[in-house]
Amino acid sequence: MLYFIGQVFPYIAMGVFLAGLAWRVLTWLKAPVPFQLTMFPAPASAVERVTAVGKQLCLFTPLYKGDRTLWFWAWIMHVSLALVIVGHIVGIYFLTQQFTLIGLSPKASTLLSESLGTVAGIMLLLSLLALFYRRTAIAEVKRLSDPADYFDLLLILAVVITGMHMRLPTVHVDLPVIRTYLGGLLTLQPVPIPENWLFISHFLLVNILMIYFPFSKLVHLLGSVVSRAMISEAPPVYPTPAGVQRQATIFAKEGQSYESSATRGQGTGSQSRGV
Amino acid sequence: MKVPLHVAKEQEVKAAGFKPTPETEIKEKFLAKLDDVRSSMRSIMVMLETCTKCGNCAQQCHSYLGTNDYNNFPAARAELMRRVYKRYFTTAGKLLGRFYGAEEFDSELISKWMTYFYQCNECRRCAQFCPFGIDTAEVTIAARHIMSELGIMPKFMAGIAVNMEKSGNNMGIPKPAIVDCAEFMEDEMRDETGLDIKIPIDKPNSDVLYVPSSADFFTNVDTMIGAAKMFHHLGVNWTISSKILEAANFGLLFNMNVMREHNQRLKEAAREVGASLVVQGECGHGWRAARMYTEGASGPVPFKIMHVLEYAAENLSKLPLRKLPLRVTLHDPCNYARAGGVIEQPRQIIRACVEEFVEMTPNREENFCCGGGSGILMDEMMEIRMQLGKKKAEQVKALGSLDYFAVPCSICKAQLPHVMKHYGMGSLSMGGVMDLVGKAMVFDK
Ligand code: SF4
Ligand code: SF4
Repeated sequence: MLYFIGQVFPYIAMGVFLAGLAWRVLTWLKAPVPFQLTMFPAPASAVERVTAVGKQLCLFTPLYKGDRTLWFWAWIMHVSLALVIVGHIVGIYFLTQQFTLIGLSPKASTLLSESLGTVAGIMLLLSLLALFYRRTAIAEVKRLSDPADYFDLLLILAVVITGMHMRLPTVHVDLPVIRTYLGGLLTLQPVPIPENWLFISHFLLVNILMIYFPFSKLVHLLGSVVSRAMISEAPPVYPTPAGVQRQATIFAKEGQSYESSATRGQGTGSQSRGV
Repeated sequence: MKVPLHVAKEQEVKAAGFKPTPETEIKEKFLAKLDDVRSSMRSIMVMLETCTKCGNCAQQCHSYLGTNDYNNFPAARAELMRRVYKRYFTTAGKLLGRFYGAEEFDSELISKWMTYFYQCNECRRCAQFCPFGIDTAEVTIAARHIMSELGIMPKFMAGIAVNMEKSGNNMGIPKPAIVDCAEFMEDEMRDETGLDIKIPIDKPNSDVLYVPSSADFFTNVDTMIGAAKMFHHLGVNWTISSKILEAANFGLLFNMNVMREHNQRLKEAAREVGASLVVQGECGHGWRAARMYTEGASGPVPFKIMHVLEYAAENLSKLPLRKLPLRVTLHDPCNYARAGGVIEQPRQIIRACVEEFVEMTPNREENFCCGGGSGILMDEMMEIRMQLGKKKAEQVKALGSLDYFAVPCSICKAQLPHVMKHYGMGSLSMGGVMDLVGKAMVFDK
């Protein structure tokens, strides 16, 4: 069992995560955008478009214009999550010694690394709780929510709580051993998972989250980019410049031409028109 | 469940060129059409799958704020499609069912769709406030399309489709009546200015094809007169076409194939008169359809497309305007501001035409809809229409006394007088922006 959890499952999880996300995005991209959905005022150039979408995605500006409290917690949640992920990569790779690179003593580096991690973790925990509370406290949102919407939050919360638990001063976690284990996984030479039950549960939950991710609404990670790109597309130009031809097979079944789909409804065609 | 609008009867459905679907085949056809729309519109797939149900859109929708009906909250409205979509087209929905918010198709669903997708004004305001830009108007467009493909549509829409097919305009005005109306307006202008200002109809070899809203020939003649005076003064070689005396494109509001036919009619009319420029009159969704949908619906076109307000703003300095002593505010039609990029032009024009211009709040791309958007003008829906217009009424009321309320869109012009009357501002005069241009222009006799 430990062999499966430690040396097989992580690969399955990673595979499902990456393939699942790619599949979702490719299905979207395969569907045409028959008409420009530009939302005005529209960015005037490609550079402006990227900046505008980037700003909306990084600062959550549309939320800021609406519900300020939601903006605050949602933003904190996503930023601290990003910090935590980066922190994991850097902190584990350098065994908390990363800040010696900017001239700190090894001891100070460990202290800074651990404090930053703790702060980000607490922010993440609090914001997740706040979002959970909000889901139950606002009448419309509560009515709109399905079990899955709570489950998403609970799953991430479980990951965070097991992770934070390892930070408690009373708990000893052997970072170098974990690094060796993760290094083994990454270099495709898996070694047995360290037999620390806290670590195992944390790690297992992360793997479950990764499998769940592409099939849940958590794909908003990428959906947001595709959606934003779509509604900030440049509007059409007239007269139509040479060579521009919009994908015109709207609502037609595959193989059916644009023209022949022009008959309405179940294809009775225009004979019945104007009777 | 009772649908609050008159649904087209079998006869009317057929007259509009659709085939009614027998009860027993509804589910199967419905799912086939949903599948069709899903694979034809990226927006539907992405937007249905991306919503995190954060609820930020709730307080931004005038339809929800005015009716207080949960199903009019944008995300809840989209859920009416999302839940069946999940059940039949997503992995998690097929596996996890209710847990994931997936629901089976049931016979009640169509009534719910008819009710709530016809209480969405397709104003796109929710998209402005959604962190992902999820545009419930897209979902509404798709839902109405699916229903009409099944032969289920409001009587109102079916009637317009028949008129459009028959006469080239929504009101069903035949060409002789168009000529009469034009002559009437020419007489008016002659009495007023002493000039021989023409409204040419089907004039070959014209540079500009002007596409007014058909209502500009009856109820909103001042808008048409404003445009005619402007073209006259600028010495433009222009015409209107009896083939398409309709800037509105109701197809966009209930069936995408009808939208496309209408759009192609525009291309054809422009070709007939030889126009290199098409100028769209004051109509909101019609402007969106012409500007944003022509490339996709009618392929490459050889002419330029402009809005009459863009055109007027561009030529403002050439017009002999004398400011009218009025205090005026502007309602931004949703399809000009958010969906059509005509935002500053009406302001420039109004400022040049009147002494005092005041903004309502919010304005421009954050403006609230009039409540008539997307063709919700059915008489039988009057009570709901007044709820949809509540936000707008509040905005106007906050401005104190006004002399004129500029609403440069035919649907707004049909909806807002009722709204203003309902909320105790019945004496406020309102009309288009071109109306102001026409009135502010002074001609040397
Ligand atoms: S704002 Fe967007 S993500 Fe949030 S509930 Fe509304 S549609 Fe969904
Ligand atoms: S498009 Fe407008 S009316 Fe429709 S749901 Fe969005 S905000 Fe409401």
